Amino acid sequence: MAIRGIDFRTLSLMDALDLAILVEDEAQERYEEFAAQMEQHRTPEAARFFRFMAENEAKHGRELSARREQLFGRTARVVTPAMICEVEAPDYDAARAFMSPRRAMEAAFASEVKAHGFFVEALPAIRDAEVRALFEELREEEVEHQALVQAELAKLPPDSGLADEDFVDEPAAQ
Amino acid sequence: MPLNGTTYEYQPKDYKSDLKPIWCPGCGDFSVVAGIYRALAAIGRPPHEIAFVSGIGCSSRIPGYTTAYGFNSVHGRCLPIAQGIKLANPELLVLAAGGDGDGFSIGGGHIPHLIRRNMDITYIVMDNQIYGLTKGQLSPTSQKGRSTVTSRLGSLEDPVNPLLYVLAYGAGFVAQASPTDLAGMAAIIEEAIRYPGFAFVNIQSPCVTYGDESQQIKGLKAIQESLESLGHDPADRLAAMDLAQHYGSKLHLGVFYRNPAPPPTYGDLVKERQEQAAKDALPRERILELFIKK
Repeated sequence: MAIRGIDFRTLSLMDALDLAILVEDEAQERYEEFAAQMEQHRTPEAARFFRFMAENEAKHGRELSARREQLFGRTARVVTPAMICEVEAPDYDAARAFMSPRRAMEAAFASEVKAHGFFVEALPAIRDAEVRALFEELREEEVEHQALVQAELAKLPPDSGLADEDFVDEPAAQ
Repeated sequence: MPLNGTTYEYQPKDYKSDLKPIWCPGCGDFSVVAGIYRALAAIGRPPHEIAFVSGIGCSSRIPGYTTAYGFNSVHGRCLPIAQGIKLANPELLVLAAGGDGDGFSIGGGHIPHLIRRNMDITYIVMDNQIYGLTKGQLSPTSQKGRSTVTSRLGSLEDPVNPLLYVLAYGAGFVAQASPTDLAGMAAIIEEAIRYPGFAFVNIQSPCVTYGDESQQIKGLKAIQESLESLGHDPADRLAAMDLAQHYGSKLHLGVFYRNPAPPPTYGDLVKERQEQAAKDALPRERILELFIKK
């Protein structure tokens, strides 16, 4: 359940913008957590990529926030972080110790696909024309994000076919 | 954070400490602590009104990752310590947490006593069917036949069933959750905290390093089923016990049992007794009369 307590049929433009900002905030926070996990487990390449994703989410969040402020000023927010859950943020299970940059990028790509699916699923229920236009825009941005990750993937040397686990020692018995 | 005299709506991040978790990436406990942040934000108590006690193990690191008062205590002893804290300061919201080994092996003897007293404590067990911190030994909830570093040819023992264990002792609130549904897990933890008495939440939290393949997220998703979708009535204790018997083969998510008429908590009874006793008590200046014959 990615959304709780939100009725798309009656969603206002302000609430839709707030929801989109929270989605970006959550994804940014999750990527920062993943980067910290990778740094903790001495996996700097994957950490760098997750920081890159966190910065992208933050940038998108700032753009949406500026738009929200321009349209609605500082009107109190009704949508809360508790109402959204892992819309664009990768699942915690997507991270692994010693994950390769390729695997990190694949995890991010899966999350962008998930976010795209969220907007595709929500759209038929939306009645307000402005909200619909915003969700269509956000849906297309998720496609752009996928392209961004794919561009990063393309920069990598060809896949060796080896799994990350092939480079990790078996856990030692105590 | 709130300023004096203003209302403040707590957010999950208000319960997140600056300490970075050192769990293995992918560990189910990351979702559990995120679920706890969400549940605490929904409850809305400030961090300084919450005490979080754990035992020893990977999962027992959890209090340190919150802004609540935390005590990473002694192996298997989180419940008696949590009980002491609750009795000394009944106004605190007290959470206890640990792993399946901490709770059902070393600490197994403490659980019935908190249940029979109906201590107002929420106990969260992160059940991964293995001793992960000590690198993969058989735990009390490991499945029979499971091969580990201490059972190379497969375990000969049947596992403890945590759900049946607490239901049989009469726990008033028993639920199960999983990181496969973070929002659902947060809602269950919130409901457990709101229950007036001992509340138990078993969370199937995969160990990505030593855990069995079938206990990873993909395996859990394959066997999960919400109790609500089965039409289960959480007020029906016998039905709950029947469903709890599927532990290990099915992953039932939701509330197994919620006592519709919770008895008074031990804290309520102690307070009542203290008030009664205070009525007949001598004033402090006459207290020696109890010991000195005139």
